[in-house]
Amino acid sequence: MIDPSEALASAKGAADRIVKVKRLNACLTPIKELRKSLVAQASAAHPSGVLYGMPVAVKDNICTLEFTTSCGSRILEGYRSPYDATAVAKLRAAGALIAGKTNCDEFGMGSSTEHSAYGRSLHPFDKTRVPGGSSGGSAVLVAAGALPAALGSETGGSVRQPASLCGVVGIKPTYGRVSRYGLVAFGSSLDQIGVLGRSVHDAARVLSVISGRDPKDSTCEERDSLRLPTVPESLQGFVIGVPKEYFPQDLDPAVRRACDRAIRLLRELGAAVREVSLPHTAYAVATYYIIAPAEASSNLARYDGARYGPRFDGSEDVRALYRTTRGEGFGPEVRRRVLVGTYVLSSGYYDAYYRKAQQMRALIAQDFRNAFDRGVDLLFTPTTPTPAFKAGEKLNDPVAMYLSDIFTVTANLAGLPAISVPIGRIRGLPIGGQLIGQAFLEDEMLEAAYALERAVPAGEEA
Amino acid sequence: MSVTHDEVRRIARLAELDVGEEALPLLAEQMSRILEYVAQINAVPASEGVKPFVPGPDAVRFRPDDVRPAPLAFGPAELAPAFRDGFFLVPKLGQFEDAEA
Repeated sequence: MIDPSEALASAKGAADRIVKVKRLNACLTPIKELRKSLVAQASAAHPSGVLYGMPVAVKDNICTLEFTTSCGSRILEGYRSPYDATAVAKLRAAGALIAGKTNCDEFGMGSSTEHSAYGRSLHPFDKTRVPGGSSGGSAVLVAAGALPAALGSETGGSVRQPASLCGVVGIKPTYGRVSRYGLVAFGSSLDQIGVLGRSVHDAARVLSVISGRDPKDSTCEERDSLRLPTVPESLQGFVIGVPKEYFPQDLDPAVRRACDRAIRLLRELGAAVREVSLPHTAYAVATYYIIAPAEASSNLARYDGARYGPRFDGSEDVRALYRTTRGEGFGPEVRRRVLVGTYVLSSGYYDAYYRKAQQMRALIAQDFRNAFDRGVDLLFTPTTPTPAFKAGEKLNDPVAMYLSDIFTVTANLAGLPAISVPIGRIRGLPIGGQLIGQAFLEDEMLEAAYALERAVPAGEEA
Repeated sequence: MSVTHDEVRRIARLAELDVGEEALPLLAEQMSRILEYVAQINAVPASEGVKPFVPGPDAVRFRPDDVRPAPLAFGPAELAPAFRDGFFLVPKLGQFEDAEA
């Protein structure tokens, strides 16, 4: 428990640390506005809240009443939401201090935070590299030690992938565990708010607060908030499956070494580890890059220059207004995905692409159910196929960029919870290992993550 | 799978998106590559019996259908580029403009 003077010190300290890492371009909120707000929030926050005085930054695609919500896009430049997202309202009610908005790929579409209209975020350990994305700004602020935790969002791995690349913890909860009210929609059947934290404990505390029922989101399950498990002495009784499809022949040998070491430590902690098969994994990225753009093309239809944000004017009629605003307001990756999404939903192509992808999604979800039905509690995989890549390396090759999500998209397609925990360094750069749990059994997943985090020498070369 | 410039133009019209002529070659090339990549799912034998998977609650819950004030801190007039008397202001819809679509 901390007192009001400590909460105020925490607010000022957070503002100072965010200034120190300004060159990483992780925080989009002007520092003067942020400092003033943090101090006011610390004075107003209720001391009985479980997160009293804890500064938590929020990804720019999650609505906040206080700061702008631009989704990393020109089309929403300067936009202020007239309400707080439920996750943000819950953080405030728990006494947390909203520490500004973080940079991200436009509307969450990207894996490097290079697709932000406000410039790319830099990797905290090597500024020539990307921090991952799309929640790159949140990962950077936590990795740089500016904040203990930040909210991100996931559609295909946008919390876990930057967590892995920056050496922090990233949790994607079960679909329906956290309200999506106020999360700007990208792919509605995939989107979830997640948490990045400097430790499993910090991330789990925030997740526990933002989880639970919400009458404002009909896809949010009627469940109580997540109860935090205790740190286990051992993993005796846990059965952890290692899916062979996540360890292909051409996997970076250093990533394989880091994973092998983590698996050995899980065994030493008492878990039974066995190989399993998820046979449809090879089709996950293709399935995802049909479903997500299809949903995005529909969700982003609302940005037309009439209802939100700036209007790119000079148009003689309303259709031209829509087209000009969208053509100039969306960046290249969003334009590409809107076009691909419109294409796969268009007459003549729907069955070959979208309907088929929906069927593949069912098969991918069934693979997980089969593994869990055979007595496996959790799955362990690499989070990303490589450590942080160079800025610009994949910018002109969308398919190569999409493949950096190869190990994360499956949990989104199946609606399952997953966590990335740092498991070592590769040539000085962090790399994460992923635990995928059963739906709504985040507590089991967190227990194993606590144990793995304590055992693994995350700062050592793999 | 090869997407032509005309197809990009047609899809851009459906998506209400201005795409300049100079952007067409790159967009057509990138869309072709993406669509070629995702088409690999057709290698899996058709599984007509498979029910699409949708995560979340089995039944969508509905709120009571009653009129309640919107709990917004401020109204649409402050969000929209142009707003008057409860309406979003836009230019007129061009007559016969849809002939091209």
